Amino acid sequence: VPCVSGGLPKPTNITFLSINMKNVLQWNPPEGLQGVEVTYTVQYFIYGQKRWLNKSECRNINRTYCDLSVETSDYEHQYYAKVKAIWETNCSKWAETGRFYPFVETQIGPPEVALTTDEKSMSIFLTPPEKWKRNPEDSSVSMQQIYSNLKYNVSIRNTRSNRMWSQCVTNHTLVLTWLEPDTQYCVHVEAFVPGLPRPTRPSEKQCVRTLKDPSSEFKVK
Amino acid sequence: GLRKCLISMDTHHLEESFQEIKRAIQAKDTFQNVTILSASETLQSIKPSDVCCVTKNLLAFYVDRVFKDHRELNPHILRKISSIANSFLYMQKTLQRCQEQRRCHCRQEATNATRSVHENYDQLEVHSAAVKSLGELNVFLAWIAKNHQEISA
Repeated sequence: VPCVSGGLPKPTNITFLSINMKNVLQWNPPEGLQGVEVTYTVQYFIYGQKRWLNKSECRNINRTYCDLSVETSDYEHQYYAKVKAIWETNCSKWAETGRFYPFVETQIGPPEVALTTDEKSMSIFLTPPEKWKRNPEDSSVSMQQIYSNLKYNVSIRNTRSNRMWSQCVTNHTLVLTWLEPDTQYCVHVEAFVPGLPRPTRPSEKQCVRTLKDPSSEFKVK
Repeated sequence: GLRKCLISMDTHHLEESFQEIKRAIQAKDTFQNVTILSASETLQSIKPSDVCCVTKNLLAFYVDRVFKDHRELNPHILRKISSIANSFLYMQKTLQRCQEQRRCHCRQEATNATRSVHENYDQLEVHSAAVKSLGELNVFLAWIAKNHQEISA
């Protein structure tokens, strides 16, 4: 049923939230319509193509987000998306995103971090974040395969001295030596692509304790 | 060989300059169904051996055509574009030395790729073409960051 366009205010703050190529369109409800049962319809456009395309799973939806990862999976293309609000026979004009370029704009999620220690050293093992995949059973693609120059910023804190330092590494294993025995160290890591400014998402802080130094215990006795 | 013919350019500040004007410039581009540097067809198919030549040709495309054809009233945007243009002039000088030492050879594929960019440009009215090309700077910068980093890594 055609609706009266412009009868409602437009949705606001329409943007793509993109992490590891999972591209979700999100927006805020139109202002001044609290308590009104508004629904939304989404369309998307591949820059350089001819027509706007429907996203059937996001037609007349109540939620204020729509996963367009499948439609924007060719990350070297650029895209637009738009959404309109509908209520009974009224609808808003389209609210449109800027041009979205997944290859440059997707946020790089945190790597997986594993830690092992002995008395005076700690080994940090990193696994690059995985690119979004259509089906769980699809083979995994690492973000490193897309960004061959992916690097890691490893931040370490000695919780006793509160001394903090960080190191930028390319490979997936980092061994820290000359640590203090029987001391807790906390680590978090963020992956980033040099040359392209984009927000990063650090890993959860992980803390481990170095082992006691047996020789120091022997002296005490 | 070719591996040394690179632009050791930190594209970070270039990308930041572009990010500041991206929204405004791309909003002026009303022809969403036309592209100039259409990533998938042109740049992504460039072989490593052609990177130097295509870089040189696209720098010349921007310096000799796009920046000259573009009309801009907003001083902030103008400053950012000038900053990008100056960086491109510096990159051209770097590649000029490679050219003189015959290490920036242009094969037919590279020449064809560049020609299609110029042909796309000529399809549009000149100011519209310049705005569209500026709006696609992020495609060129991402390609430079990827290709000039990858070979030297």
